[in-house]
Amino acid sequence: MNIELKKFGTTLVSRPAGKEAWLAFQPVLNSMSSGEKITVDFNGVVVLTPSWADEFLTPLRQKFKEKVALINTSNPSVQATLSILEV
Amino acid sequence: MNQLLSIGQTAKLLGISIDTLRRWDLAGRLRSIRSGPRGHRFYNRSDIDQYSQEIDSLALNWAKSNNPIEPNSDVYCQTRDVFQARLEKLQSELSKIASIEVVSLITAVAGEIGNNSFDHNLGSWADIPGIFFSYAIRNRKVVLADRGQGILTTLKRVRPELLNSGEAMKMAFTEIISGRYPETRGNGLKFVRSIIVKNPFSLFFQTGDAKLFLKKNDIKLDIQPTGTIINGCFAIISFEELL
Repeated sequence: MNIELKKFGTTLVSRPAGKEAWLAFQPVLNSMSSGEKITVDFNGVVVLTPSWADEFLTPLRQKFKEKVALINTSNPSVQATLSILEV
Repeated sequence: MNQLLSIGQTAKLLGISIDTLRRWDLAGRLRSIRSGPRGHRFYNRSDIDQYSQEIDSLALNWAKSNNPIEPNSDVYCQTRDVFQARLEKLQSELSKIASIEVVSLITAVAGEIGNNSFDHNLGSWADIPGIFFSYAIRNRKVVLADRGQGILTTLKRVRPELLNSGEAMKMAFTEIISGRYPETRGNGLKFVRSIIVKNPFSLFFQTGDAKLFLKKNDIKLDIQPTGTIINGCFAIISFEELL
């Protein structure tokens, strides 16, 4: 499964928005077949902060562990966020 | 002779819309000079320079006031939704003059500081809810302030041994700790620090009676006592070395 984060917005900064994204995405995640890999695509995201990411990427990583891969992470705020969260 | 600017030039310099300038003119907040047969609005360059310098003192005065009133609606974000919309406006204004790297990082820093205010004070504002959020693109400056509880009160809930605002500020900028236990989070200001010290930006931050000035390549946190006490938080993000 490919998760295009830009579909949640391009300025992903607040905790409530991250939590809302996580909750809204649950039906999609629940419909995945077991063993399916997840690719999180940051392409198009202009601003990301740890607040948003902590509500979405942290639980995603906790739930699916090594099945989660992150791609197109070159945006500087994405880089800074990922290095703080260590997800 | 004082240089006159058109309303379009002025809007561009301040990073706001022409409609906002017209409103400010009518409200007496930033007066124009009417000139020409059709009475077009012009602005004194010196007035605009002065105005740009003022946003930080406006914010600080609001944050420390004993008898506060709601800030002007142009700089006041009562709710997070308003802040998000204005943050995206800042992002859009910045993208006219700066690289994607700068746009992304400055917006992220401002977003994290502003959202921190809401995260930690929702339902517990001392008097006026929300934050003061303003920027002067020309002066490469973003200003945020809140009249919340401040970092010491927030962190004391999970670290009762904290004695003063300086210690609390140091903890917030160096350790992953949340004042919203049992939630495992609280890395916002650590994130802010990691960005400031790696880029040509600077940050002035005050909470309680402690202040911090942080800039590129700083390794230690230089936290100092202040004469003026504010209960909430006050921040100036500068990116003056940008151009």
